[in-house]
Amino acid sequence: MREEKYIRCPYCESVNESKGDIVYCRNCKNRISGKKEINLQNAWALLIAAMLFYLIANLNPILVVVKFGVLSESTIMEGVVSLWEEGNYPIAAIIFIASIFVPLLKFILILYILINYKKPTGGSRRVDQAKLYHITEVIGPWSMIDIFVVAILTGIVHMHNVKIVAGVGATAFVLMVLLTMLSAMSIDIRLIKEGKDGD
Amino acid sequence: MSDSLDELIICSKCHKLHRRVKLPHKKVAKCSHCGNILYSSVADTMQKAIAFAITALTLFIIVNIFPILKVTIASEQTNLIVPEMVYIMFENGFIVIGSMLLIVVLLAPFIVLLSFITLGVLSYLKIYKHFARKIILFLIISRQWAMVDIFTISILVALVKLFGYAEIHFGVAFYALLLFVIVDIFFLKTIRPTELWIYFDRKYSDRKYSKGS
Repeated sequence: MREEKYIRCPYCESVNESKGDIVYCRNCKNRISGKKEINLQNAWALLIAAMLFYLIANLNPILVVVKFGVLSESTIMEGVVSLWEEGNYPIAAIIFIASIFVPLLKFILILYILINYKKPTGGSRRVDQAKLYHITEVIGPWSMIDIFVVAILTGIVHMHNVKIVAGVGATAFVLMVLLTMLSAMSIDIRLIKEGKDGD
Repeated sequence: MSDSLDELIICSKCHKLHRRVKLPHKKVAKCSHCGNILYSSVADTMQKAIAFAITALTLFIIVNIFPILKVTIASEQTNLIVPEMVYIMFENGFIVIGSMLLIVVLLAPFIVLLSFITLGVLSYLKIYKHFARKIILFLIISRQWAMVDIFTISILVALVKLFGYAEIHFGVAFYALLLFVIVDIFFLKTIRPTELWIYFDRKYSDRKYSKGS
């Protein structure tokens, strides 16, 4: 069996023949693979937008505490540092990994797959890229931890004198997570398979 | 050609192509390359999943009606109730965050549970085959966006931030949430899309699912 001939439907897991520009699943009729160049452009555009939002999310406050009318704002990194200084090392590590490291890792993995499609590196194998792609799918949602924490604190602390609200950084962070997920979804498995041998 | 394609399966992790085999009871088929589980013998797995979906739905309703946390800060008490938390985000003008929360914490998990139960009822009665197929697709797509487990971890992280400033009591919804996550992780998320389709094929066709050697 020639493996390159077949493609897996991500929705129903049926095996389909990889023929033509656009492949529709024979079982569920969903589109499995679109035009490769358009998919590539979408993935690049969404990834670049996600990276910009990542910068905005890290430079702007994610959490704003209003205490007796006085504002105190903190960015993601400031939150991590403050947790670390308070001795909450595991929590500081979780937030750092989920909010700073995981998105960066996802950017690098997607970039690697996209660059490798155009300029395949000698040592790379398709299986490795498929695994990388799988990793991006699994770890992606965990970036949402910090946003959930902000939402929970906002939901709890809304007294007369003390109030916690989300900052601009939080909105940027949500958009970053969303765009990264969409960028990863734009990469269909045919890009990865063909990345092995180049154009 | 379609029949021969039905005999094949591709690993979702490493995309290695395999030929399906009929599994003995309580056995799993694993990828020969990466060891990822491809599918299991689904004789009673789906029945269990549907039963647990009803349990999970009951827990999910409790989670969303009762307070998860009761917090007292400077002699003022507030409750953390999930729908109220989403409403506060909208009220404060954070439409993007509010919408995301609405989808990943409320809508997607609810749709997943409802889909499991509806699928169970339809396949038991063997009616609306086309609709049942749509439900499976809807279920597979929706569960990528259900993040209640991550939300639960976030509650624990938020608690750490609140310790020292507030008096915290766990509400009944907190325990329901923990139970919900356990049921979800061990009985619902373990159902792979392939198993849903095998179950569908079995229920809606007279022939036994015995593809491959």
